[in-house]
Amino acid sequence: MAKGDTRGKGSAAGLVRLLPLLVPAGLLVATLAVPFVYETQTLWYKSGSDKTLLRLGQLVGLLAVYLLFLQLLLGARVPPLASLYGTATLLRLHQRNGLFLALLAISHATLILLAEGLLPPLAWKFWPELVGVFLLAILLLTVLLSRFREQLRLPYRPWRVFHRGVGWLALPLATVHVLFVSESFAAGLPRYLLLLLAAGVAVWLLAARLTLRRGGTAS
Amino acid sequence: MKRTAVTLTILLVLCSASSALSAEVRSWELDKAHTNFYFTIDHIFSKVRGQFNDYSGEVLFDPENLAASRFSFAIKTASVDTGIAKRDKHLQSADFFDAGAYPLMTFVSEKIIPLGENRYQVAGKFTVKGVAYDLQLPMTLVGIKAHPAVQGQDVIGFNGTLTIDRLAYKVGGGKFFDMGVVGREVEILVSLEALTEK
Repeated sequence: MAKGDTRGKGSAAGLVRLLPLLVPAGLLVATLAVPFVYETQTLWYKSGSDKTLLRLGQLVGLLAVYLLFLQLLLGARVPPLASLYGTATLLRLHQRNGLFLALLAISHATLILLAEGLLPPLAWKFWPELVGVFLLAILLLTVLLSRFREQLRLPYRPWRVFHRGVGWLALPLATVHVLFVSESFAAGLPRYLLLLLAAGVAVWLLAARLTLRRGGTAS
Repeated sequence: MKRTAVTLTILLVLCSASSALSAEVRSWELDKAHTNFYFTIDHIFSKVRGQFNDYSGEVLFDPENLAASRFSFAIKTASVDTGIAKRDKHLQSADFFDAGAYPLMTFVSEKIIPLGENRYQVAGKFTVKGVAYDLQLPMTLVGIKAHPAVQGQDVIGFNGTLTIDRLAYKVGGGKFFDMGVVGREVEILVSLEALTEK
């Protein structure tokens, strides 16, 4: 009996340790399933390579948004992550993830443009796409300024203000872009899950910021 | 020398006669708030309606001088508007108008034939995706009168409807028609008002 209890406690503790991996993995699978389970009408009217490019573009875009949310948490060194992995690891992950994220964002835009016959969305009625273009521009600028800050001789403090500002701006911009650009997120489960996820990230970031301001450590 | 002078005189007389003919025709400026190029097309079972929001045009019209009257329109294909941005994007693509490669559709009249009861057959060249086709555009002159809201201006109104086979103009390769999704016949309504000084 006692032996069984120990085994039970052990497996429960193992599950708790695995949660920081299991939850993001589950969310990632759910995110990437959206273009298949909640297929957009745009996909109905595509065939051949255009359909493949568009679906791939959607997947890459969703992965980019997922990693963007993760990037914000990594950058803010939110409490459980910082204590689990240490701030140095989080910073390294933040830098690498930032580059990967930028690459995915460029790939997303390229794939969608290719699928749409290289027609840029140049009209106000395509405002959700234009939000995405703006987000892509500020993401690329942020990555470039961060990567070459020393070469560009940018002072640390103004750079940090800009970097954080972009972080706070990117969260609503990415959410709005996805909610209004994709019919998959027009209603139902994907819409509510995305809103919940964005709100969760915002609350988590605010909580981490308040903890730091009160003199505590995020780690 | 004498022969050259005679030829020049004849040419001058012809030119002045031609410009006098044109000068008699009133030039009308399109009222863009009350002019449009509407279309209706089948989608499986339903009808999809749309219009083109960006265009320019020239109307020279005098019912008494049809020889010098003229209609010309240039429609920006990227301005296609069906109320759903995603669908408009698809219509702009190479699947339909290929707006990137062919930004304009034009119609230039060559001859206006009266059919009676204010109806006219406007024959001209309709250029779609870089290819010019002969097109007969039936137009009904709804009226000419002093503009009820703008002092010193006359207003003219025309309506014209016709049905065309979009596949004959290569607006789509037939894939969506073969799938039974998008019809091949497009009902077009040209409805215009234009103004000119009294």
